[in-house]
Amino acid sequence: MGQAPYRYLPHDFAEHYSSVVTTPYHELVEPRKMHESVHSYVEELLYAARCGFDGVAVSEHSQSSYDVSPNPNLAAAIIAHTTAVEGLDTAINVLGRSLGKAREPLKVAEEYALLDTLSGGRLIAGMPVGLSYDANQNGGIPPIETRFRAREGRALLEKAWSATEPFAWNGKYSRYPFVNIWPRPVQQPRPPFWVPGGGTPSTLAEVLDREDVFTYLSWFGPTLTGRRIFDRFWGIADEKERDHNPYRLAFLQTVCVADTDTEAERLYGEHLQTHFRNGLGAIPPPAFALPGYIDIRGVEAIVRDPGDLGIAPKLRTITFRELADTRAAIVGSVSTVVDQITEFVKECRIGNLLVMLHVGSMPHELARHNISLFASDVLPRLRGIWEDEGWEHRWWPTGIGTRTSGDALAGV
Amino acid sequence: MHVEASGAALREEVISVWNDQLEIHVKIAGSGPPLLYLHAAGGLRWGPFLDRLSVGHTIYAPELPGTSPADPHAIHKVESFADLLLMYEELVHGLGIAGAAALGESLGGMMAADLAAHFPSLLSRLVLIAPAGLWRDDHPSRAIEMISGLPELAPSYLFFDHESELATAFFAPPEDPELIPSVIAAVVWAQGCASKFLWPIPEHGLAKRLHRVIAPTLIIFGREDRVIPSIYGQEFAERIAGSRLEILERCGHIPAVEQLEPTLELVTEFLR
Repeated sequence: MGQAPYRYLPHDFAEHYSSVVTTPYHELVEPRKMHESVHSYVEELLYAARCGFDGVAVSEHSQSSYDVSPNPNLAAAIIAHTTAVEGLDTAINVLGRSLGKAREPLKVAEEYALLDTLSGGRLIAGMPVGLSYDANQNGGIPPIETRFRAREGRALLEKAWSATEPFAWNGKYSRYPFVNIWPRPVQQPRPPFWVPGGGTPSTLAEVLDREDVFTYLSWFGPTLTGRRIFDRFWGIADEKERDHNPYRLAFLQTVCVADTDTEAERLYGEHLQTHFRNGLGAIPPPAFALPGYIDIRGVEAIVRDPGDLGIAPKLRTITFRELADTRAAIVGSVSTVVDQITEFVKECRIGNLLVMLHVGSMPHELARHNISLFASDVLPRLRGIWEDEGWEHRWWPTGIGTRTSGDALAGV
Repeated sequence: MHVEASGAALREEVISVWNDQLEIHVKIAGSGPPLLYLHAAGGLRWGPFLDRLSVGHTIYAPELPGTSPADPHAIHKVESFADLLLMYEELVHGLGIAGAAALGESLGGMMAADLAAHFPSLLSRLVLIAPAGLWRDDHPSRAIEMISGLPELAPSYLFFDHESELATAFFAPPEDPELIPSVIAAVVWAQGCASKFLWPIPEHGLAKRLHRVIAPTLIIFGREDRVIPSIYGQEFAERIAGSRLEILERCGHIPAVEQLEPTLELVTEFLR
């Protein structure tokens, strides 16, 4: 998974600025360096595809210094085309073009359909609600409407993909006299839906009801939050009589690998620390959940038990050691990285692993080193983790051939 | 929602509106002519201001849909600000107080003003205290900025003297720590419900409707209001014929708390 941060922020950025919404552009950015940052971001995603990752994932954050990708489908289109030209069967995981904030939800349906067509059916369609600050402050959506917009947008998207006749859409948030989009997705009945989220019980229940994949992101320290969220997921799966197919889950993990543990800390430590401090750490805490974004019962539950927030409250001044200890980042030699990932993946029954191999200020060459070493030495040792259980992966793009069992899939 | 204990005996009436699809909870206290009180974005707080007003008035204080503990999801039944106004018009008739005076603070001021603009003969007098509802690019309202910001900054937005005892008492958590999560959740949710009508810009065309207001109107602002700058007082006064603007010194966004006595004096005299 790649984000597109500006790579040249001052080291003490988090002491002076927020990383989203209000961050001053002109005083912090040199256009040439921004060009280089964005160019390297795309190059690294393509490099990962060439190194043999099963998929490449892209994200969306507006008005943000830690990720300048305003629409993930822009980078996804480059990847779709380039990999097609190069004969790579890389899946394209768009973590999400948020329907919670989209003013033109039909465009999202069209963009995803075009990506699926361009890539020959390799799209994983992310279905996040959308981050609160992004939907509400950047997008101007009243927080209390965000989830309803996401639901209505998805209903429209599904109908627009499958309808055989033009139809009128009379929604609360969008209305169209004629819906009849071109093209439709190549994958039938549709590309798989993966839903990134914070893991509240209501989100997990909805994911399981709809038979989607739940994507959890490790930002807040998996040793503190991971078990809570994944145990909750499988608990709700039991209540709903769903099987424990590990491919129901995706997990995004930041990984920094080198020849030795010491070398890894030396190479990556500073970049990791500033990445967390200057990125997520510099988001004002209320911006994660503006009033109305989370239901009153959810707010009360979080105030009573803030465990799901993990290290979030101290990210602004977090140290490398805390990041490593809570596994917000897995950092070390090949064997350390393999051991830590394998332990967690098995413990939580995670079938899809997304790894973030570039962070913050990490230079392009170092990112390439991390990607290449992971692909050559770590990835082969993760692939067979679920092989002996023989589960069918029902949520992998079908345009590139079905994968029926075996692989612990890794995207970068 | 967060109704404070007070001297007045509060009773509650539940009025069904919107073709029986929505129930609005109304707190009622006092004696004398009816006064419709519309609360601000933080939810209904019954303090000394309403207590003392209730000596000469029967106060009808509806809770914004969603802010009544009995049904926090009622807000989802209100699709737009336009619908909210129609619901409140039905509510006024349902309470049997058509022709009453109305007093609104902040969000409530915006609602009272727009009700009077939509239904000029519904309310006999208007008191607008630091009302939201208008917009100037050169003096943006900071309501959304405050709601989006750190809770610890709220006192400096809301009070002229945010270190005063009044300000401290206003934000004091409940004594029983067990109640803190539910009280925080209620306040955050009340802001979320209010934001539905304030977000992203708290102006729904009121500027072009205000000329329709015929009720005698008193507008009160604190000179040092850092949420809705007091210059908006002028904006309201210019648009409502015959209205009167009073600006209180050493006062922020909540005159009824920070300058209780002068505010009460102005209001009671105006409503007499």
